[in-house]
Amino acid sequence: MKPTAVLLVLLLAPLAAAQTPPDHTPVDLAHVESIAGPPRAPRLTGAALEAEAKHIAAVLRCPVCQGLSVGDSPSAMATNMRQQIRELVAAGFDEDQILSYFEASYGEFVRLQPPLRGVNWLVWIAPGLGLLLGLGVVSWVLRGASTETPEAVAAAELPVEIVPDPLPDDPARAKAVLRVRELAYGWPGGLRPGKA
Amino acid sequence: MNRKVLVAGLVVTLPLVGLMLMSLGRDSHKVESPLLGRQAPPFSLRPIGGGAPVTLESLRGKTVVVNFWATWCVPCVDEHPVLTAAPQRYGSDVVFLGVVYEDEEPNVQSFLREHGAAYPSLVDEGGKVSIAYGIYGVPETYFIAPDGTIVSKYVGPLRPDLLDGFVQEAQARAGTRRSDAR
Amino acid sequence: MTASLGRALILLALLAASAGALVGFAAGVRRSAAGLAWAQRLAYVYAAAMVSANLLMVYALLARDFSVGYVAQVGSLEVPNWVAVTSLWSSLEGSILFWGLMLGLYVLGATWTNRHRHPESMPWAIGVWLACAAFFSFLIAGPAQPFHTIPIPPSDGPGPNPLLQNHVLMIIHPPFLYAGYVGMTIPFGMAAAALLSGRLGPDFMRSLRTWLMLPWVFLTCAIVLGGWWAYEVLGWGGYWSWDPVENASLLPWLTATAAVHSAILVERKGILKGWTVTLILASYLLTVLGTFMTRSGVFNSVHSFTQSAIGPTILVFLALATLFAVAILAMRIDRLSPEGHLEPGVSRDMAFLLNNLFFVLLTFTVLIGTVFPLVVEAVRGVQMSVGRPYFDRMVVPIGVALLFLLGVGPALPWGRASPEQARRALLPPLGGAVGLGALGLALGVRSPWTLVALLFGGYAAFVTFSELWLPVGQRIKVRGEGVLEAVAHVQSRGRRRVAAFIVHAGMVLVMIAIATSSTQGRTIEAQLVRGESVALGPYTLTFLGVDRVSEPHREALVANVEVKKGGRDLGVLTPRMNYYATQREPVGTPAVRSTYAHDLYLSVLNLDAQGQTLGLHAMINPMIVWIWIATGIMGLGGLFGLLPTRRVAVAPAPAMAVEGSLSPARSR
Repeated sequence: MKPTAVLLVLLLAPLAAAQTPPDHTPVDLAHVESIAGPPRAPRLTGAALEAEAKHIAAVLRCPVCQGLSVGDSPSAMATNMRQQIRELVAAGFDEDQILSYFEASYGEFVRLQPPLRGVNWLVWIAPGLGLLLGLGVVSWVLRGASTETPEAVAAAELPVEIVPDPLPDDPARAKAVLRVRELAYGWPGGLRPGKA
Repeated sequence: MNRKVLVAGLVVTLPLVGLMLMSLGRDSHKVESPLLGRQAPPFSLRPIGGGAPVTLESLRGKTVVVNFWATWCVPCVDEHPVLTAAPQRYGSDVVFLGVVYEDEEPNVQSFLREHGAAYPSLVDEGGKVSIAYGIYGVPETYFIAPDGTIVSKYVGPLRPDLLDGFVQEAQARAGTRRSDAR
Repeated sequence: MTASLGRALILLALLAASAGALVGFAAGVRRSAAGLAWAQRLAYVYAAAMVSANLLMVYALLARDFSVGYVAQVGSLEVPNWVAVTSLWSSLEGSILFWGLMLGLYVLGATWTNRHRHPESMPWAIGVWLACAAFFSFLIAGPAQPFHTIPIPPSDGPGPNPLLQNHVLMIIHPPFLYAGYVGMTIPFGMAAAALLSGRLGPDFMRSLRTWLMLPWVFLTCAIVLGGWWAYEVLGWGGYWSWDPVENASLLPWLTATAAVHSAILVERKGILKGWTVTLILASYLLTVLGTFMTRSGVFNSVHSFTQSAIGPTILVFLALATLFAVAILAMRIDRLSPEGHLEPGVSRDMAFLLNNLFFVLLTFTVLIGTVFPLVVEAVRGVQMSVGRPYFDRMVVPIGVALLFLLGVGPALPWGRASPEQARRALLPPLGGAVGLGALGLALGVRSPWTLVALLFGGYAAFVTFSELWLPVGQRIKVRGEGVLEAVAHVQSRGRRRVAAFIVHAGMVLVMIAIATSSTQGRTIEAQLVRGESVALGPYTLTFLGVDRVSEPHREALVANVEVKKGGRDLGVLTPRMNYYATQREPVGTPAVRSTYAHDLYLSVLNLDAQGQTLGLHAMINPMIVWIWIATGIMGLGGLFGLLPTRRVAVAPAPAMAVEGSLSPARSR
């Protein structure tokens, strides 16, 4: 029962937090610096600050929610994290530093976009590789197709003279014979050029 | 037998099925803490009910057990008696601290009045410390060695035997620093 | 008593399915008509047993019979009756039982409608269907048994998960999803039958296509209904977060849509048979993979059921089914010989090929992203996430490419187009593109991807509507018919084509709506005391106070927020926090005011019980309502295409074994 109970707690934690309005106490900048180094970016204000904070919140995973970003989550934890992000952006830390700070506490799990380390690069290039592979397959199929048009097949066949039986004189019957040949052999006119 | 189709089919499907097989038993809700073996993030928090702020720095040289909890969390309520009884069993070189996670002071105070408190529970304004410690939910308990490194983290309600094991492990690490995180 | 009866019915289903599978395969090998008849009977027995078992469980849930294991697990005296019924599918064991119900209904329908047709293929098909049915019956009878007898029944139960009691969409979304998901078993069996019998003629293709389209319609609606549910219930204001379980429902839809299109080439030209069969087989296997992902606990998701023992069992079935599919493909694909040829160059054939390419690429991308955390954990031992930012970045370009094809594909003629033909076909719709693009710019759209989507969407809309009008216009001009008469004739003579373009129209609208809502929304967060207001766009939102509401299964704190627009009073919106008796934590419900232009979306961040302060999250989400409307159009269009018309079947494509198709027959 234990894992289920913890699971329930983890699932429903953000909702309990919704009872308390978030507080505003500044994040420990010295602690952040010890993890990520001194601020590298210019200190932002106003609309630029909000835009950058929103962007960073969109690529951080809310730890107590299932798959939501910190920007999307209504939980108190996410609200606190959004506040911290704003303060860090205002203090001049850049996106990489801020993500490293949260990663130091929560692990790589908290980043919604895989950072480029180890085997992670595979997921970034896989769709592009897939596209190239797919285009290759399509062009291979088309090349096969262009060699199979009736004209191409006829051209590739050794020239063998096949003389079909003469058509009956009656035009209606001639038409019927042609139609039967077409049905039987699958080619307009009845006989596949060059083949018996 | 079309070999190309066979090979292509197996190349596409076998790794996928194999990956699923390897991942069985994985609990996707347990995340390893990157803080293991690192210095515990510093904090200075005031206790519930008032008093001087408690600083982690001041407890250097002692084994510290930091338990994140809340009154609305059922397993936290379950483990509360275990934690309340624990400080008596250890000497003064093991310090227990509670950090309240996303709860309201009146609730916490009445809970502690009713169920008893053997050690201070601290108010985490703005969730700063919860974030610094990478809390995914409650209850989560950190065991910090006398030199300030986090030795282990336990997710879930503690039992006396588990608690003893973790405390002993933290006491034994005094003076040694683990460099790998796992 | 109920529990033992339920267990007996499940056992009957298991026996009938297992026997039927064996009989079906034997009948296929020996081409035995008697064997086929027996397989059909066993299929009917299976269906009857499954339907009865489900009805029995619904009865037990309504009667609150806590001596039945599943009822003790999810039932409750406090929940209303509609919640009691829907808890049939709310928890793991019940959902597998429900899966059995859907499969039983599908097997019944597919066996009965084909009872006099395709005698050389149907035994195989029934055999495969019943083999799948046998597996799921085994699951129900064993690891996921809902009919345990509880010797000392409790007096009450905990009720289903509160998130599943919050909204009426709980009634609709899971049945649609299961109808789509489970339904993929039928085309799977038929595709396997085509391989095993070595023939895929036009008649069988037509049946196969019908039974592919039916679950496709349900799956399309289900995916969007899931998004709608998330939008209305979860409170973050979005409808798709690339959650692993969401992706699990999308993957089979992608391959099935590709199969629907390549099936057109099979029917028209007799080409790409093996490829289409592969796509259909893959669609079913992806549903099994999806079931595994949802129920194994391996993937971190808001939807996943708690970890259970049935994960490994499903994985074994997945492995066996996959090996079976690969084996029969490798062994028999060469028997499906093409009758025509693909037209290279600028042609509609080419567009179909590219359509398949992009859908398969999408499938691959979503699949890789979803399972990648498992790969990394296996290789680097580190837990990481692949989330919405990644998927959005990868999927949007492919989606836009598909939108491009939605316009250009149907515009192109079937054969190789001469430059003159191409120009005549491809230039006029540019008017639509420019029109919609200009409209977007005028309304303030500046995001590049959205603008591109508007351009392609405008083009595609022009093409789709002109293709819908074309035959009608021809009839009016050439035959002098009136508009209504022409439309009536066209929809009965060319029903599938009309249906296809209706579905396309819906798809174009969905993509335009998604593109717009993704980038043109606005959002604010505000802490309001009672009486305080905040502005969002043209709206003024005022926090009036809090009401306490008591319902049988929950208490709620309802925040009253007055909405004014330009001085005009638009009423009061009521986002709420629900407190359930069986859970300690509340579940929020947003309040949504929809207009055709946009949704005003309010959710509660925090609320104190005295009603003095409200943390409000407010959003304006443009064009959301069109996503739901357009999906309805797609669903109705798809169903319309499945309605039978009375017509004489034409002679099949040349060089085909004649399969009794020269007599007048009802076509599907």
